[in-house]
Amino acid sequence: MTSDNDRRRGLLARLRGRPAARSRGRRRLGAAVRLIAALMLAGGAYTVFAPGVQAQENPPLTGAAAEGKALFDVSCVTCHGRNAQGVEGRGPSLIGVGAASVEFQVSTGRMPMARQEAQAMRKPPVFTDEQVRQLAQYIQELGGGPEVPEGNLRADANLAAGGELFRINCSQCHAFGGGGGALSSGKFAPSLRPASDRQIYAAMLSGPQNMPVFGDNQITPEQKADIIAYIQETLKHDQDQGGFNLGRYGPSTEGLAIFLVGVVALVFASLWIAGKS
Amino acid sequence: MKRRKFDVAAVPAKTAGAVDDRFQVATPLRKLLNKVFPDHWSFLLGEIALFSFVVLLLTGVFLTFFFEPAMTEVVYNGSYAPLRGTPMSAAYASSLDISFDVRGGLIMRQMHHWSALLFMASIVVHMLRVFFTGAFRKPRETNWIIGSLLFWVGFLAGFTGYSLPDDGLSGTGLRIASAIMLSIPVIGSWLTSSIFGGEFPGTIIISRFYIAHVLLIPGLLLALIGAHLGLVFKQKHTQWPGPGRTNENVVGERMFPRYALKQGGFFMVVFGVIALMGGLFQINPIWYFGPYEAWVVSAASQPDWYVMFLDGSTRLMPAWEVHIPIGDGYVIPPLFWPTVVLPGILVGISLAYPFLEARHLKDRKHHNLLQRPRDVPARTAAGAMAVTFFVVLTLSGANDVIADKFHISLNAMTWAGRIGLLLLPPLAYYVAYRLCLGLQQHDREVLAHGVETGIIRRLPDGRFVEVHQPLTSGDGHDGHAELDYVGWVVPKKMNRLGALGPAIRGFFYPIEKPAEAPVSPGHPPVEPRAEREEIGSGESRR
Amino acid sequence: MSTHTEHQAPQGRQPLDVLDPRVSRFDIVQEGARRDDIEIVHYEPQVVPGSKAERRMTRTVASFFLLTGLAATAFLIIYIWWPWQWEPGRGGDKYYTPLLGLTLGVALLGIGFGILTWGKKLLPKEVSIQDRHDQPGAPEDRKITGETMLYLADEMGVRRRPLLGVSLVAGLLPVGAVAAAPLIGGLISQPHKNNQMFTTGFAPADGHKVRLVREDGRPIRPADISAGGQLTVFPGIEHGVSNRHADSPTLLIHLRESDAVASRAANARVGHGDYMWGNYAAFSKICTHAGCPASLYEQQTNRLLCPCHQSQFLITDNARPVFGPASRRLPQLPIEVDEEGFFVAKSDYTETVGPDFWERP
Repeated sequence: MTSDNDRRRGLLARLRGRPAARSRGRRRLGAAVRLIAALMLAGGAYTVFAPGVQAQENPPLTGAAAEGKALFDVSCVTCHGRNAQGVEGRGPSLIGVGAASVEFQVSTGRMPMARQEAQAMRKPPVFTDEQVRQLAQYIQELGGGPEVPEGNLRADANLAAGGELFRINCSQCHAFGGGGGALSSGKFAPSLRPASDRQIYAAMLSGPQNMPVFGDNQITPEQKADIIAYIQETLKHDQDQGGFNLGRYGPSTEGLAIFLVGVVALVFASLWIAGKS
Repeated sequence: MKRRKFDVAAVPAKTAGAVDDRFQVATPLRKLLNKVFPDHWSFLLGEIALFSFVVLLLTGVFLTFFFEPAMTEVVYNGSYAPLRGTPMSAAYASSLDISFDVRGGLIMRQMHHWSALLFMASIVVHMLRVFFTGAFRKPRETNWIIGSLLFWVGFLAGFTGYSLPDDGLSGTGLRIASAIMLSIPVIGSWLTSSIFGGEFPGTIIISRFYIAHVLLIPGLLLALIGAHLGLVFKQKHTQWPGPGRTNENVVGERMFPRYALKQGGFFMVVFGVIALMGGLFQINPIWYFGPYEAWVVSAASQPDWYVMFLDGSTRLMPAWEVHIPIGDGYVIPPLFWPTVVLPGILVGISLAYPFLEARHLKDRKHHNLLQRPRDVPARTAAGAMAVTFFVVLTLSGANDVIADKFHISLNAMTWAGRIGLLLLPPLAYYVAYRLCLGLQQHDREVLAHGVETGIIRRLPDGRFVEVHQPLTSGDGHDGHAELDYVGWVVPKKMNRLGALGPAIRGFFYPIEKPAEAPVSPGHPPVEPRAEREEIGSGESRR
Repeated sequence: MSTHTEHQAPQGRQPLDVLDPRVSRFDIVQEGARRDDIEIVHYEPQVVPGSKAERRMTRTVASFFLLTGLAATAFLIIYIWWPWQWEPGRGGDKYYTPLLGLTLGVALLGIGFGILTWGKKLLPKEVSIQDRHDQPGAPEDRKITGETMLYLADEMGVRRRPLLGVSLVAGLLPVGAVAAAPLIGGLISQPHKNNQMFTTGFAPADGHKVRLVREDGRPIRPADISAGGQLTVFPGIEHGVSNRHADSPTLLIHLRESDAVASRAANARVGHGDYMWGNYAAFSKICTHAGCPASLYEQQTNRLLCPCHQSQFLITDNARPVFGPASRRLPQLPIEVDEEGFFVAKSDYTETVGPDFWERP
């Protein structure tokens, strides 16, 4: 074990230390939570009061983060616990997962989860884009972690380099056509077709569920832009040469097509040819 | 100017005379023109294979003009931007050029691939027809063997062709093929090394596959197809039993002109369907797969459908490794059983089946009349068992796609395949056997008691019975004279008998309005109409 | 073959004098058929010449052929003038192949259905019966042919002159071997040249440990891979990132702390205690089953799935196969970090990489 690793551990400890330090003021925070919940139940205009409540916080949350906290305390707290510390057996701690993870999970509708399953499914998102940003900001300010940069995520992208990277790093699970594929025991890599630029970026950064993490040291932001451009412009923007792509499931649908279309059509033809009428 | 008298009308006769003077063709040509072929839709299935082979040759020759069978590394600089600048083999680059930079090259490539799939599919469908109707029996065992070999040679043609573009997907297949060869005990590593010219993938395999794919295998296919057709011609086609049809004759049409016209038309239809599929359905989009690199793979990596059953058997195989503790120890890997032993057994069974059946039934007669599948329950059931086995393996070859798209656990799919492979074939045997017996029984009931008319009669004692229309005028009492079953369709509907008016004509929709047919329930039974006789009333008309 | 050409007409029917000018053409055809043992028992025109039905059918057939002409012309026009070359973002060319297929298919189907309708609807229907004559040859014929062949053998006199037979076989066998020798001798290739089946690109050359590099050749620092991440790495030698070292691609995995603990314990159990470096472990990417890149790494369950035949390997238990047809664990590459801070392979793989074979120890 080298010193480098020890330093990393120290960093981790410090990261974990932050919420621990704040837990001294847990009671006050709990009061704030209850207050907000009560306000919301009463149908009060909590937006007016929230800044006031937040003002008492030790590490002050920015406006957006405070909004996010309010959303969190309504929708996420059951599984992820107060201050996103996690609840044993229900949901993991979100400290340090970063805004990227929140953005991916919530904007694709995977979170909030309806029930525990092998894998969270993509659903119509519960929150608006604005609310997603607020939640992400809250988690970010709570524990830090990777963030998706603002702006155009595929500027000056090189399609060929993106394709090369896609085939090395992504296609084994998401398939050459980006349609996704099966993993062990009911898990699967989802199709990339519905994913937005930010969601792909966030997924690479945060490694949601069983997907490996592709940090910025491994795949630089420029390379990520190349990959996103390849997915969005080549795989998704349909420039299929040669007709209907049969879902791009590979030879299995091609085999189905030759029987369902080719053989069936020709058997009908031979029925007609040899028919009496 | 001096004009010679030139009678245009006499030219054909004179030419024909001149030809016959030299080659004596009149008699053989007459025999050729006068050859009778029986007509039935199921006899056209083999033709689909023949015609798609012709399309394969045509499109394949076009592709050879542009394909470069070399593994030399080049940097792609064609018009497909997402691969520009990528290092790849010359074979892959030229396949991309065919797809993007040769005008009309893509449709040729796609037609070639679709007709390859159709070739194999129609071989299998044709083989099933031959099997289930007993057309393989003496004297046609040789042609059955040639047909089975055609499937396996076609399999090789397909696999070598699939490997040629050297893309990411086909390279994965090639890698598996090399592992299969490697798994053969004792000689495995020598065989692989010799075929690949060293360690996988080497630099020569595409060139070797190319010459096999464009010369050796097509040559073999041509020879086998020639022998296959020659034997059909020599031994004359089988026919279904029916009025006037015996084991010693052929009832049908003379080859010319009507039969030949239909064949020519059918060739154009097959060609047309391939052209439509080649244009409208994308197949093997190699530009998404990238060049083959040993570290690149895709989810849902599958071979073409006719290889998929081997992929399936490999996936279902448990991890049973045989250790032979001699010296340093030797290994028979689990890959060996489903990919070398299983196909070996399948080839052996399929080649030997006609002889096994004849031996089992002690049958040494010539058979020119086909059997309806229901009349040979044991064979039909065995066939159903084989088909089920093949289908389970093929589906298992795509089990990851099925698991993904239908949200089933991948591991559950594997187990379902393992259990299904053991349970479903015997079940299929039983079900098919019972179905055959049931159908037989119904035929015999109709022959004994007549066709159900749908008319309910109340008897004096209050019972209700359905009136049956006997098939004969009847020499016994109540017209219940039992007819012999002759192995052909027994009419089961009143309009098949000519009662209730003719059957509604037309393929998809009626050509005549059904209302024109008399539908009076009291319509008296009518004698079978003359032109419907070939359907067969069940009476033997020798 | 020639036995039937002189076939006599069936009894009770006078052979037709085909040279008689009063005989109709159909009668001659029927007589010809009879000579080939064909009885035309039913011959019936489907349409009355000049009838409405005939004209309608003729029009149908003609319209099929005209449709073919139109479609073929459209094919040519599209083939020549439709913009067909791929350009990023334009997408108009994606209709080129479908349009070609559509026009070509319609053209061919037009010919096909035109001919078929012609044959089916306009030509007379017939039922002919031909004798098969597939009985085996008469015993007399069999006898004659058999004796002829035996006589041939007698003429050769091999039985009386056994030396000829023996010497012929002795001479021909080597000739056969000569025919086979260049093929086998040319193709055969020693599989264990340079011990190639048991070594990979990570084998240290001249005492230098081989670096792990990315696909673009850059070496790798531990910080390059986040926890729960994986990276495909190659030997940092010439042509290391190419198909020449198809067995070398390796998966470098940064395990999470708890998984790394389990993994280290498992390593120690098989005497690979020092194969990991920190929380990093490197396993061969080449499946031990059929050689596909087994690279579907599930970072939470630590399973590695091979997409070809669904073998699953448990990374935290020395990549032991836990499901599917693979019978052997993925070999682990012993790794460490050199003084410049880059990953290197301590040694080559200590187990054989790639699919199994007979003589693998």
